[in-house]
Amino acid sequence: MTVAIVGAGITGLACAAELAPAERVQVFDRIPVAGGVHGWRASETVALGRGARRAGATFRLGVTAIRWAEGQLLAVGPEGVHRVAASVLVVAAGARPLTRAELGLAGGRPAGVVPAPVACHLAENGLLAGRRPCVVGGGDWAHRACRELLAAGADAVTVLAPGGLRRAMPEGVDVMEGRSPTAVEGGPRVTGLVAGEERIACDAVVLAHGLAPLRNVEGAVWDAPDVVHAGALDDPATVAGAREAGLRAAAEVRALLGSAAAA
Amino acid sequence: MPPDDGHGRRDYDVVVVGGGVVGCAIAWRLGFTTARVALVEAAHDVGEGASKGNTGIATCGADCAPGTLEADLVTRSSPRWEELCASLDTPWRRMGTLAVAMTAKEERALGHLRDQARENGCRADVVSGDEARALEPMVAPGARAAVHIPDDGIVDSLRLTIGYAELAARNGVAVLTGSPVTGVEVEDGRIAALQTPRGRLTARFVVNAAGLEAGRISALAGGDEFEMWPRQGQYWLLDRELGGRFQKIVGGVPTEVTRGIYCVPTTNGSLLLGPTAVDSEYPGSRAVDADTLGAVFAAAHRLVPAVRRDQAIKLFAANRPASDPVYRVGRDSRVSNLVHATGIRSTGVSSSPATADLVHTLLAEAGAPVEREDAPAERSLPPLPRLLGNPDPERLLDLDPRYGQVVCACEQVTAAEIAAACAMCVPPRSLDALRKRTRAAGGRCQGTVCLAGVSFLLSLHMGMQPWEIPVGEPEATLGVAS
Repeated sequence: MTVAIVGAGITGLACAAELAPAERVQVFDRIPVAGGVHGWRASETVALGRGARRAGATFRLGVTAIRWAEGQLLAVGPEGVHRVAASVLVVAAGARPLTRAELGLAGGRPAGVVPAPVACHLAENGLLAGRRPCVVGGGDWAHRACRELLAAGADAVTVLAPGGLRRAMPEGVDVMEGRSPTAVEGGPRVTGLVAGEERIACDAVVLAHGLAPLRNVEGAVWDAPDVVHAGALDDPATVAGAREAGLRAAAEVRALLGSAAAA
Repeated sequence: MPPDDGHGRRDYDVVVVGGGVVGCAIAWRLGFTTARVALVEAAHDVGEGASKGNTGIATCGADCAPGTLEADLVTRSSPRWEELCASLDTPWRRMGTLAVAMTAKEERALGHLRDQARENGCRADVVSGDEARALEPMVAPGARAAVHIPDDGIVDSLRLTIGYAELAARNGVAVLTGSPVTGVEVEDGRIAALQTPRGRLTARFVVNAAGLEAGRISALAGGDEFEMWPRQGQYWLLDRELGGRFQKIVGGVPTEVTRGIYCVPTTNGSLLLGPTAVDSEYPGSRAVDADTLGAVFAAAHRLVPAVRRDQAIKLFAANRPASDPVYRVGRDSRVSNLVHATGIRSTGVSSSPATADLVHTLLAEAGAPVEREDAPAERSLPPLPRLLGNPDPERLLDLDPRYGQVVCACEQVTAAEIAAACAMCVPPRSLDALRKRTRAAGGRCQGTVCLAGVSFLLSLHMGMQPWEIPVGEPEATLGVAS
């Protein structure tokens, strides 16, 4: 039986390595390297990838899975369209911080309310989301955003951690714990973030709180009978947690394949 | 840079002031004539006011007050949507509305609603609660009855407005964004020229389709005195995992004050909840607040219990241009070469094609040279294929290999689609403007993954540095210089 896995992070790799000895496994990732947030050079990425390949799994990296319908996965990449018939689809596409709407932030729509992955991506290219940004969150994305913003030249960074700090923030960052943001202020760019009675003056709001799974394969809905949604949603993320999530997904796939065979 | 049409021209037969759906529709209609036409818009893009913050319902006119100009224009527009949207490459679906009664009192109002619809020439039937749920299983089990209005439709109002402007531009209309009218030169009771920060345009005739700014424009011209004020609406946009399952628009029973809160499936599969209707002071606010949003959600949840707060992908507000009376469409009583098309408070999308025709007629009566149709004019936009849901992706990649490069994963927007949007006659000049054309960064993660990549691509197309890229208006930049 063929199993298609979307996402070549630790979770997808662990699932692939576990299933590949018995099933035909194809792994897709929109990024041209494996490893996801843990990186392509991490020793676990290398080891799990090697194990999966040796067991017969094939990889299509730099290829975006876009649609799942009637047992067929459709994916596109620079070299063309891929169609893979599969019995089960595993979506292990990673996670992202919550959006403004998911946080229920009221107020207007000034520029400068930036998701943490975007703020990091911009900072890595020398572009600051703000000189005095307020980072909302207390885990991995908040930590990374603080580090990148400071490295790119931010003057002062405030962290507003609604659920408290899940890890230590870089030095020089002001931390306010246990308060939830309620509204943004300003226009045309952000001038402040309101958290209940408090108002934090800032020129950018970086959204780094919470985690929601990324699942952008059309048709791979939550309640689809032939789809397994995998991912740890731990914050901070650990390789061990991601690997366990991959093994759990592999067990779910086996159960689905088993019941399909029995039927 | 002076506001010209790219060839140094600054004298026009007709200048349309306002690039909302009404002004763009008028420009579209005039684009088929031999008249020299310009459209001036204050914002950086067309469709930046009520035209981008509405339910997207193209009503057939069932709930318009019978005998009014609004009812006339909306019902005359309704049969045209299939052909119009095909010609403007705009998503559209005639799916019908259920106006659902949850109480005995609401049930008693249904007969009136049906009779009013029929008086407007619209199909409408009262159906039982069970029949309503058969038509739309999302309707609450407690529904007592409903009026079914089968000819209401949904339209992508962003793409409609841009489509009107784009086809107008392809037919020679100068679409001048970022050009607010700051002064009006009047000679002998006629407008001679309009002033903008980017230069002066002479105009033989002027159409005032400036929405909330229409009262100010008329005052600058010494025309009829009237007041415009914002009627704010707040909305929830929910994920398409739910919205894609809807068969019908689901609404409550309209009152005299408002059409009420709707659950509206959008053409891209998401679900809109709203709007509220609160009059406020000029210029109004686009801020949302938790109390109002909570009330919208509760009203929607009463009709459709399946809606959940955690499905929200966007919370937003917009202002409709209110005035008394509504639908001020006609020649000014003092300024002989000024035609108003304003006060179109809530049905601007729904009436736009017929309103454009009416303004064309009014201009002709006023003596504007708009009666000769321009034989070589293009009648439709070349459709821009999209990857999302496309039945033949292989053909798309043959067309342009950049269709294999998915930039926005939520909406599956590719580099090919972004390049095509940037090559439009009315190109995007901001991330919002690009989103309106392509849906890039407009999906469930709202750009969390892709916005940096999208901004890099847009900066290449615009010839700007990434930090100069505006989110909306030019000063609303994505980042700050480091």
